[in-house]
Amino acid sequence: MKNLKKTFENDTWVMPYLRKYKGLLVLVLFLGFMTFFSGGALMFNSGYLISEAARQPASIIYIYVPVVLARAFGIARPVFRYVERLTSHNWVLRIVSDFRKKLYQTVEQKASAIQRSHQTGDILSILADDIDHIENLYLRTVFPMVIGWLLYIFMVIGVGSLNWGVGLLMLLLLGIITIVMPLASVATNGVREFKQHQIQHTFYTNLTDEVLGLGDWLISGRYNDFINLQKKPIKSIAALRKRDHYFQWWRSFLVQIVILLTTLVLLVWSANQFTSSKSLANWVAAFALAIFPAVSPFVNMSQGASEWPVYKRSIERVNALDDGGVQPVEQTSLAEPFNQLSINNLTFKYADGNRNVVKNISMTIHPGEKVALLGPSGTGKSTFLKLVVGDLTPSDGQVLINQQNILSLQDVRSSLFGILDQQPYLFDTTVMNNVRLGNVNASDQQVKDAIAAVGLKDLIESLPDKYDTQVQEAGKRFSGGERQRLSLARILLQDAPIIILDEPTVSLDPITEKKLLDKVFELLHDKTIIWVTHHLAGIAHVDQVRFMENGQFDMQGTPQELYKTQPRFRQLYDLDRGRV
Amino acid sequence: MIDKRLFDLPGMKKYVVILGILVFIQAIAIIAQARALSIAIVNLWNLQSINTIIGPIIVFTVAFLARHLLTVAENHVLFPFVEKTSGDMREDLMAKIFRLGPAEIDKRGTGNIVTMALEGIDQVQTYLMLVVIKILDMSITPWLILLYVLFLRWEQAIFLFAIFPVIILFMIILGLAAQSKADRQYEGYQWLSNHFVDTLRGLPTLKQLGLSKRYADNVYEVSESYRKETMSTLRIALTSTFALDFFTTLSIAVVAVFLGFDLMDGKVMLLPALTILVLAPEYFLPIRNFANDYHATLNGKNAMSAVMDVLHEPEMSQREVLPDLKWNDDSTLKLNQVSLTYPGSKEPTLKDISIDVKGMHKIGIIGASGSGKSTLINLIGGFLSPDGQNQISINGQPLPHLNQANWQKNFLYIPQNPYLFHATLAANISFYVAGASEAAITSAADKAGLSDWIKTLPNGLNTMIGEGARTVSGGQAQRIALARAFLDPNRKVLLFDEPTAHLDIETEAGLKQDILPVFNNHLVFFATHRLHWIGEMDYVLVMDHGRLVEQGIPDQLAQRNGDYVKLRSEMEAADL
Repeated sequence: MKNLKKTFENDTWVMPYLRKYKGLLVLVLFLGFMTFFSGGALMFNSGYLISEAARQPASIIYIYVPVVLARAFGIARPVFRYVERLTSHNWVLRIVSDFRKKLYQTVEQKASAIQRSHQTGDILSILADDIDHIENLYLRTVFPMVIGWLLYIFMVIGVGSLNWGVGLLMLLLLGIITIVMPLASVATNGVREFKQHQIQHTFYTNLTDEVLGLGDWLISGRYNDFINLQKKPIKSIAALRKRDHYFQWWRSFLVQIVILLTTLVLLVWSANQFTSSKSLANWVAAFALAIFPAVSPFVNMSQGASEWPVYKRSIERVNALDDGGVQPVEQTSLAEPFNQLSINNLTFKYADGNRNVVKNISMTIHPGEKVALLGPSGTGKSTFLKLVVGDLTPSDGQVLINQQNILSLQDVRSSLFGILDQQPYLFDTTVMNNVRLGNVNASDQQVKDAIAAVGLKDLIESLPDKYDTQVQEAGKRFSGGERQRLSLARILLQDAPIIILDEPTVSLDPITEKKLLDKVFELLHDKTIIWVTHHLAGIAHVDQVRFMENGQFDMQGTPQELYKTQPRFRQLYDLDRGRV
Repeated sequence: MIDKRLFDLPGMKKYVVILGILVFIQAIAIIAQARALSIAIVNLWNLQSINTIIGPIIVFTVAFLARHLLTVAENHVLFPFVEKTSGDMREDLMAKIFRLGPAEIDKRGTGNIVTMALEGIDQVQTYLMLVVIKILDMSITPWLILLYVLFLRWEQAIFLFAIFPVIILFMIILGLAAQSKADRQYEGYQWLSNHFVDTLRGLPTLKQLGLSKRYADNVYEVSESYRKETMSTLRIALTSTFALDFFTTLSIAVVAVFLGFDLMDGKVMLLPALTILVLAPEYFLPIRNFANDYHATLNGKNAMSAVMDVLHEPEMSQREVLPDLKWNDDSTLKLNQVSLTYPGSKEPTLKDISIDVKGMHKIGIIGASGSGKSTLINLIGGFLSPDGQNQISINGQPLPHLNQANWQKNFLYIPQNPYLFHATLAANISFYVAGASEAAITSAADKAGLSDWIKTLPNGLNTMIGEGARTVSGGQAQRIALARAFLDPNRKVLLFDEPTAHLDIETEAGLKQDILPVFNNHLVFFATHRLHWIGEMDYVLVMDHGRLVEQGIPDQLAQRNGDYVKLRSEMEAADL
């Protein structure tokens, strides 16, 4: 219970939506209740019907009402069930739409425009799965449980009103299968689930590790090691699963024993209660026949409850996302065109880090200037870029555009910075739509012009669907160089004064790289460019080269200057173009 | 609707017989239970004393317990078989993956394979558990009950029997609806879930373009339109379930009403009538259970098909054609007019490649992207199989492909991103050499230029690296791969595939100094588009659109003014 409270303490994912769609929720529960009620009532009524008929009453009038009711309940049960299923699915899918939006917004707040790896994709898939889990929480646990309890209360009160002693017995007996056993299942299964999750996680990591390194396994010829590595986790999973199954079977059996006891209690009770007269005795069959359909919803309650630990983990994970919101800064915009980017004593340390990733960097960039930034991985280049665009808040110092702090310009950021990175993302839609993302108000002609400017006109127009060609998942319809060009077209439409190039050519071959860089600098000749690059191809395009080492600049100057005066630079440049 | 493959599983027949017997006994228990309950009720109805129902109640209790114990027993009987079958399937799958090699992983995606081996097999297990008993239940229980009802009163038996084809009809409609639902909705679902993940992954880009806030509504709208579409397909599936439900429930009501009339007319006694009424729901129960679980079993069915697909995938056989080999100065490798076409592709990726190599050389493979450099390296590594037979030979022995166990013992493959296992640094370095001494590992690490870095690690060589542990930069990863080469003097062939393309220039320059010594006394294949490596090679293969357009000694090629010279001039940067 304490656990349950803790899970929902700061919950913004389950409770608010229960409240938001209260009406539909009540309807679903009502329909669910009526389904089982009608099922029980059908048999109750039928039992009475044939008992009464067997007395061979003088007129058909005596069984007329039960006959009509039999048909009514016979029709009502499937109808209620049908409507209930439609309503509940609709309800859940509605919530899922809200969830997706909410998850998107939560992730959006934390996303950075400077992104190096796509590894986060896995985390995102996990989150998307979590949403599905919460969907199942309603369909498989919440609805059946609540409906079960409603029926439980109804039955106890119904029998209790005829005989409070038997009512009390029902309360206890049925309480075992509707309350005690689900709770026990949560407890046992919680521990087991946790263990199973851990083992599965190990298995999952091992397996991924093996599959990714398959080439090495194959060449090494270590077939037996490869197979044996999996044996242990497979065995432990199997053992756990076995215990889980046994537990389930015997739990179901226990539920049936409780049902048997309930049936016997009702039989004995009706033997005493209803055998005083013939007309009363007709009720015996009614009660006896109604028991099995009436208790049928209780059979799966424990199973639904035992899935709770899975849902709990999902709920906690999505709720954890909400933590650590960013301090809002009052936003403003620039009155005049961009005239200076100043970086003053910029220092940054990650909250969980112990060293400054960026150390006291200062520089000023004027419109039209082009700066290249080099350095080994891990020296703080991408952190530096994140600080420049305002995705991170500096520990010390500031980034100013026209003397305005960048942190207060976040709302107008896309009118200031255009970014071309390593793997610019193309969405799974048409070429036209993808390029138009640069400026959603651009006309078709403007989009086509931009595509022509980056040199893709002939290629796109040669495709059967031309500008309506689907780029497919992550843009895989096009090659790396083509994807970069499409993104460049997007940036042309965006028309921001400062362009950040974040290693855009890292996965391209030298010829494609050279052509792309020539294109970029040709089209963006009047823009201010900050270019992070991993080698020196195309370096002649810039006015300034800065080498970054441990969060600071060490070597800097124009490429020509550096080539003349710095042997280290000269050596690297010659290496880069293959003259050693 | 019923999966025939189930009964073809090895050993299944025996279990079907045992389970059939159990289900048969269970059906008798169900009838006994109904009969005893009816007797007790009729006795009470006749206002007989409570003592007269003790006997029937005992029979009822015993039959009831027997029925449910039999359910447990059926599960107990089947489970070991299911466990073994799915366990074997998992092991077969792993072994198959090993034999199929990295090319298969590329084709199906790492995530897919891992999910299949983990969740897929679990789903198969659930599927087998659910479906076998249900099918048997459906094919035995209703008919025994019907037989009994026939014995009690043939009119009702005929009615119950007549309703069955109607139910089957709706089961088929349900099956079809479920099929299209499974297909269409699964597709829709995949699409939506991809769209969602697609949007989340593209968030940085949306943020760059200042569209990220606005896109939230788009996410909602897409999800809502999916909801509407799902509901319309769901309606079909639910409607057929409804029809099924409707007919069974209404049948019970009709049976009750007709029995009522017959009772009034004195055509039947209460006891048989009541027994029929109690048995009527039991008659429909198996088929309803089957229909209810039908959707739940679809995943398992699909998972099983997916696993079967992989298991039936053709693999390269004849891996032992090459006799024991130790590459030395006199060894030869010949490729004679080798072509290679990827499955599903019309054009060959490699065309008529002929190479003749003897002993230790440093062979550079250059060409624009898409020219087939990596494919050639993969062919030499045996990850891909050539189109024709016996166009490759080692020491004169013709080979169908190079996926030869004895060839693989001779080389090391160093790709652009060498994979690092989630293990200690030492284990990663000694991956290819079982039981390497610590001194040997340290020395190899030192030669690969890792010493300085290792000193900064908390546990030195015993530091855990790889996924989820300490991250390793691209340059260090290359050095670890290099240390593997230094550690294993028996592997004389080195295959490099763009090892430095993605590294920053300074790291590349440093790494080059450490790579060069390993070239000595090795046969090296080095695919690259970084020009400076060419200077270190004594032989160059120039690739263009899958063809080997030029090959020879670099200096000679430089004078020839052919493809080599053309390629170099296109790649090279101008003077500053």
